Amino acid sequence: MSGWDGFLHGLSVAAQPGVLIYCMFGVLLGTFVGVLPGIGAMATISLLLPITFYLSPEAALVMLAGVYYGSQYGGAVASILLRLPGTPQSAVTTLDGYPLAQKGRAGVALFTSMIASFSGSMIGIFVLIVLSGALAKAAVAFGAAEYAAMMILGLVAASTVGAKQPSKALAMVVLGLILGCVGTDVNSGVQRFTFGQTELMDGINLVALAMGLFGVAEVIANIRVAERTGVPPRIALRDLLPGKAELRRIPLPALRGGSLGSFFGALPGTGSTISSFLAYALERRLSRRPQEFGNGAIEGIAGPEAANNSAAISAFVPTLALGIPGDPIMALMLGALVIHGVQPGPLMLEARPDMFWGLIASFGIGNLLLLVLNLPLIGIWVSMLRIPFRLLYPAILIFVCLGVYSVRGSSFDMFAVALIGIIGYALSLARFSPALLLLGFVLGPLIETNLRRALLIGRGDPMVFLERPLAAVFIIAAAGLIAMSVVQVIRRRSASAGGQTP
Amino acid sequence: MKRDIPDLAGGVILAAIGLLVTVYSLTHYEIGSLRRMGPGFFPALLGGVLAVLGGMIALPALGRRGTSFHIAWKECLAVLAAILVFAAGFDRLGLVIATLASVLIATLATPDRRIGWRIALAIAVTILSVAVFSVGLKMTVPLWPGR
Repeated sequence: MSGWDGFLHGLSVAAQPGVLIYCMFGVLLGTFVGVLPGIGAMATISLLLPITFYLSPEAALVMLAGVYYGSQYGGAVASILLRLPGTPQSAVTTLDGYPLAQKGRAGVALFTSMIASFSGSMIGIFVLIVLSGALAKAAVAFGAAEYAAMMILGLVAASTVGAKQPSKALAMVVLGLILGCVGTDVNSGVQRFTFGQTELMDGINLVALAMGLFGVAEVIANIRVAERTGVPPRIALRDLLPGKAELRRIPLPALRGGSLGSFFGALPGTGSTISSFLAYALERRLSRRPQEFGNGAIEGIAGPEAANNSAAISAFVPTLALGIPGDPIMALMLGALVIHGVQPGPLMLEARPDMFWGLIASFGIGNLLLLVLNLPLIGIWVSMLRIPFRLLYPAILIFVCLGVYSVRGSSFDMFAVALIGIIGYALSLARFSPALLLLGFVLGPLIETNLRRALLIGRGDPMVFLERPLAAVFIIAAAGLIAMSVVQVIRRRSASAGGQTP
Repeated sequence: MKRDIPDLAGGVILAAIGLLVTVYSLTHYEIGSLRRMGPGFFPALLGGVLAVLGGMIALPALGRRGTSFHIAWKECLAVLAAILVFAAGFDRLGLVIATLASVLIATLATPDRRIGWRIALAIAVTILSVAVFSVGLKMTVPLWPGR
């Protein structure tokens, strides 16, 4: 099945009423949590994970993915109106969105972000169709060494690219890898780090870990902060309409941002947040009026918003085609696939074409729904910002408890979620990234299995990773990234030391 | 001078965890060889890497000024208590009473301490959770005590 036939086939899967309704629910819920500062896509997807046990795998994945890209649309609303990013991906949108809102052009800023998000998503879907089929075919030739090397590269890239303190990011990845070791070792059947607890035999529960790190920890961090949000202005439908001059400033930045985002989204480790920052920098450099940036430049919204949505879609390329999640949210999606008995990777295209193409086609439908629904519903989304957080978080906590209990009917997991929540809060307080911990946790068992297999095939010679050309490229790239970040840290340190001494 | 406590403490804790993991793996699990790795190989290796990274985080923090930060003790306690009460109580007390109690405890963390909205919210959340989990998803949870 070629890409376009596959996509058409996928449309017939995604358009089934039983899938379509969950797609709609997913994108609407995604927009809702994206709009609200304090709850993100990460927390919502982990909250929904146990509920998806009751759905068909197609409906479950379509819904979870809808939450993810839907939150990217919603994230811009709080960024523009309150200068409070609803999601980290939309942080850049505050730079020019908020000044526009202060000039009374909030509607135009919202319109720009919606249109740009939609265009970006379409570019992302195009790239996903073209790349993932081809990549999956090429990846059939991947051996254990390539897989292990690619995953190591992904983890290194995720923790070094754009990180202020790469050592802290890497430490979180490694801690996640260690937590991934807990449970029964697949090769030998030995119980590792279970300390006699039968609940730990299957390893630490992914749902409990994700809900603790993102649900509980974010609630604790936001109870006080989210109470201080300002009052958003009222937006009517006609406020959205941009003038002709403004309209003309959208397409090119959206196209550039979308292309940039689709590239960086597909790379393991660099996700939509980084893409949006890069797109902003690109637009400012290309602009004939760079002084407008920061004071309400339309391009400063269109570029980054297209980039983060495009990256959110193309992030599915490595997840679906290789079974390697490039960012923490994809790690959760991968976990969801595995829970539903679908093994993502090159064989998924052959084994589960309905799932593969149905999911991709649902992105098209979902984004269309978002555009058609969100423009008229914008007034409602804006009024959501008036809901105080104190009315929401108790329900979140109860849903966390019941959700984690429903996975396997164990009260142990509820106590675990409380403990993990406190740890997650402490981590984010000390600026350690819990998202990277989760990424390491999901990839840990995969890396270990492939590492062991590669070395067994290579007769215990680590050179096996350098003798195979593709694996060597991945390893060298990972080493290069580490070397670059070491150089950067040393340079920054000597610069700041020079500045401090009189 | 105020030290960079998060990096200092975080680095030391991570290094300690790393060392513990390595020592525990070396003493309790078979290491094997590079060709045939035992169950202890990967965790022992990771523990070592974590110990080094912990040291790299903590050492530079020794001579660096930290930024001040605020720990939300009250919020931590309220959320922790709410989850623990729910987890310990919902088997015996049932979903309805456990949810009511848990929401009342969780809302203690907000600046607005009035009881009226808290009771109203507790009732609303209880109805919602019973509707979603018990009625909607048909989860087998006791609704009332003694069932």
